[in-house]
Amino acid sequence: MKTRRNRKNLNLNPTGDPWSPWLHVDIALVLSSIALAIIGAFMVYSATRGNDPESYDRAYLNRQLLFLVAGVVAMATAAYFPYRRIRDWVPAVFWGGMFLLLLVLTPLGVERNGTKAWFEFGSFQLQPSELCKIAYIFMLANYLERFNGRLDARQLGNGLLLGLIPIGLILLETDVGTALVFIAITMGMLLVAGAQTKHILVLTVVGIILSTLVWSSGVLQDYQQDRLTSFIDPASSQTEAAYQQTQAQIAIGSGGLTGQGFGQGQQTRGEFVPEQHTDFIFSVIGEEFGFVGSVIVLALFAIVMWRCMRTARKSPDLLGTLICCGVLTLFAFQMFQSVGMTLGIMPITGIPIPFVSYGGSSAISCFVGIGLVLNIHMRRYQVV
Amino acid sequence: MSVSSRYLPQSHRLRLAVLAAVAISLFVPLVARLWYLQVIKETAFVERAADNTTETIIELAPRGRILDAKGRVLVDNRASILVTIDKEEMSTVAEDDLQDLFFDLATEISRSGNLTKVQEIESAYRSNRYGPFAEVPVVQDISEELQIYLAEYSYKFPGVNTTVTTVRDYPYGSLAAHILGYVGLLSEDEMPQVALKEKTYLANDEIGKSGIELFYEDALRGTPGTKVVTVDKFNNILEVNEEIPAKAGSDVQLTIDIDLQALAEQELARGLSIAKQQPTKFEEEGVVIFNAPAGAMVVMDPRDGSIVAMASYPTFDPELFVSGISNDDFDELTDPGNFLPLLNRAIQGTYPPGSTFKPFTAYAALDTGLIGSRGILSINDPFYDEGVFLIPSCEGGTCRFQNAGEAAYGDVDLRLALTYSSDVYFYNLAASFDILPGFDLESVQVAAKSFGYGSRTGVTLAGEGSGRIPTPASRRDAYRENPDAFLTGQWLTGDTLNTSIGQGDVLATPLQIVNSYSALVNGGTLYAPNLGQRILDPITGETQVEFAPRVLKEIFLPDAFSEPILEGLAAVTTWRSEIGTEGTAYNAFKDFPHEQWPVSGKTGTSEKQVENTLIADYGLFVGWGPNPDPEYVAVVVLEEAGFGGQVAAPVIRRYFETIALGRVPAFLSQAEKDEIAKEEAARLSLNPVTETENTNEENTTS
Repeated sequence: MKTRRNRKNLNLNPTGDPWSPWLHVDIALVLSSIALAIIGAFMVYSATRGNDPESYDRAYLNRQLLFLVAGVVAMATAAYFPYRRIRDWVPAVFWGGMFLLLLVLTPLGVERNGTKAWFEFGSFQLQPSELCKIAYIFMLANYLERFNGRLDARQLGNGLLLGLIPIGLILLETDVGTALVFIAITMGMLLVAGAQTKHILVLTVVGIILSTLVWSSGVLQDYQQDRLTSFIDPASSQTEAAYQQTQAQIAIGSGGLTGQGFGQGQQTRGEFVPEQHTDFIFSVIGEEFGFVGSVIVLALFAIVMWRCMRTARKSPDLLGTLICCGVLTLFAFQMFQSVGMTLGIMPITGIPIPFVSYGGSSAISCFVGIGLVLNIHMRRYQVV
Repeated sequence: MSVSSRYLPQSHRLRLAVLAAVAISLFVPLVARLWYLQVIKETAFVERAADNTTETIIELAPRGRILDAKGRVLVDNRASILVTIDKEEMSTVAEDDLQDLFFDLATEISRSGNLTKVQEIESAYRSNRYGPFAEVPVVQDISEELQIYLAEYSYKFPGVNTTVTTVRDYPYGSLAAHILGYVGLLSEDEMPQVALKEKTYLANDEIGKSGIELFYEDALRGTPGTKVVTVDKFNNILEVNEEIPAKAGSDVQLTIDIDLQALAEQELARGLSIAKQQPTKFEEEGVVIFNAPAGAMVVMDPRDGSIVAMASYPTFDPELFVSGISNDDFDELTDPGNFLPLLNRAIQGTYPPGSTFKPFTAYAALDTGLIGSRGILSINDPFYDEGVFLIPSCEGGTCRFQNAGEAAYGDVDLRLALTYSSDVYFYNLAASFDILPGFDLESVQVAAKSFGYGSRTGVTLAGEGSGRIPTPASRRDAYRENPDAFLTGQWLTGDTLNTSIGQGDVLATPLQIVNSYSALVNGGTLYAPNLGQRILDPITGETQVEFAPRVLKEIFLPDAFSEPILEGLAAVTTWRSEIGTEGTAYNAFKDFPHEQWPVSGKTGTSEKQVENTLIADYGLFVGWGPNPDPEYVAVVVLEEAGFGGQVAAPVIRRYFETIALGRVPAFLSQAEKDEIAKEEAARLSLNPVTETENTNEENTTS
């Protein structure tokens, strides 16, 4: 049955017209990701407009809408060039990204909240680690594709070594959260690329041992450790991190089933949750739109992930599958980690919710990821 | 032409499925947690959010102002910066550091000009009257610079805050301080009382402690308001959800006239300082020095019983109480060695009224008929005053009584007896009450009491004294209580004699004296004196309550009684016989404008024995005018100052003369004086001559 339908679909592009892939754009993926970004923009507005009804501050809203437009353009661009052709440019882009990660450690980079991860251009900031996520996914997929779905120890090791480059550089920024995202991406892609079960088990054990060693070695600062543990019992901790999580939960809890309404959240208006427009933006959603609104946002994420997974399965080649899995892992991990920390079930690691949180680098990076998935989806019938 | 997904081997499909399963499983804890927070725990979190974001602010209401009869503001409010200590926050400071903190704070406050001791701060902080979470007031009235400094260096002073409060302001300085009284922090003793009051009191609130501030507390007190607000993290107010506005206290308008009050205070002080300059009086017993340390003066309108002026000397500066009075200052104000400046002698000082009491003895004789048809002599009958009176068939105690200086006035009738202040004439009356059958031995006391002696007048001030009218019964009781103070518990004829001239155990407050004369000159209406005229709305100025004159009683006082008494008293200031005998205040009122402003009066000189040491006489004078329908009755009492006719009468003379000639100066507030000085300076600086003079001066000095 499936074969027959595929065969029939094959006829949909009999001419080889370069525009014909656009007939196969995944509308559901585009709409759900843009919907998330629009909801995000309004949440950013609610979190930043201030309390003077005479003159609400629209600066953040305007910029976030600008990022949204830039993201959609970036998405279209990423979808336009056939991904198999892009592959040739990937090493250059990847190493260029690594260079930027190195550069951000120099005095050119700017430090915020103890993390040195930004370049500043006037009122805009660029976070190279965000952009590197997609480059890394493509780079890793490019490397792993050639082993046709079965990795031996050496190939696995090479893949890990490749991953260690951005992860190491990002750890030097002391951006543990983003480093964890890269680790998650690496693990997800290695799994799909054919890592053997025994290797995965060994890696897991090594990972646990390494984490323990790092934890007890004193490399992490006290405040970093505290961020990672305070979610277990926030009441016992007097730190900013515990306060942040407690306030976020008060905001979300007081939203109830249907929320207090847009712009009506008392916690949000009082700015009780630090970073409520970036990493903790889910507290605004929870307070103002309640359980129903929160679940709708999560459902949109589920749609995005479902479409990524669907494309991964429909991809004509392993490269496409790996890219889709990388993007899927990226979204899944970031969404879970970021919403989880806002809800108080994950430690604070300071990473944004894809599409929703305020921030240009993150928005563009996420939309480029969507663009690549669309790229694969559009060209799923083309012969490799 | 392979189909898109055909390349995928089975193992890959499995791996993708694993990844998909992991991704899906991520949603489970998130949704579960959302359900827990938003549905199960909603109520608790809604409450916590409300705790976070709503706050109830108590808005203090300003106290009402106190105005004079013409609406000039005697007591106002002004903003003042208060240093407070947040007990909860400061309790986190280690005990060792606390001492340093207090020391630094005291240093900074003192340096800014508000001398403060470390102990004062510490005792305020440790005081039990505030709960562990309270903001304890420490120092009032600091400068704005210090407030900024404390905010800037708040890390050096954990728990130290400043707030702006309103405090009392006295535009006219110490004027009428005894009448106005002062406010202070609510004391622990007062808390149970204020709990019953209609208006809310908080631990840091001020309450009237004396004078008008105390008496009209309920009117003056503002009603604090509450405001429920939504705040943000930094306690900025986002919106007001509910507001019960604070209501300022009502203004109280007094019957006092600032100008006449100032004049009274000035003349009282001048009278005392003149009395001090008298040559020391030598007597057989020793040297008597006119200390003239204290006195009182009350001016009343006899037509309605309202008080026009009330002065007590020495006085105090109510400003001292504004920042919370220091212990040293308070000790000084309550030290008998300083003659108790806080004491309002006009209502709290009790004095033997001396000869000022005689008109009431005269009234007793007329009322009982002792002078008249059934008595010993008629109004116009002369009685021969030889200067000495011997009690007939005397049975003990003193039997020989005499006029002051044994002066013999010869033939005196009732009028002349009052004009000359003949003691002997009144001794004769008193002895007749005591001896003659059919007359009540206590006739003088009954008459005095009907004019308000021996009981409080009911003036609208707290702490009034009631004076004393001695009777055989009261003597017995007093003797039983304190046998050492009296020779015998028995009431002797001599006691009646002493009582009849306002001596012995007779004591009266200046206010009682002025009030009794007021009834005498107004035809017999005894008022409860009023100091409050009306209560006004603080914003619109509309009258909320008008205080009508309060008539205590109508005394039986037919013209046949009052005329001879008032005629005799009118002559006190004007009469001089052919042989040179004068009314007792004739000299004091020489060249007074009697024609335009006819004035009467009665002098009094009384002896007060203080623990067997002889002290100088108390000089008294009561005067009124313009006759025949007086607008003012005034009394002055000068302690240890000498004869009433010599020292007290001139005080009233000067006072009435200033009024009679229309020369009462407008008393200016400090602000008004500054304004005038500024104008004067501006006028002078426009004058080129003065300018060159100034430059010359500068040149010579430099």
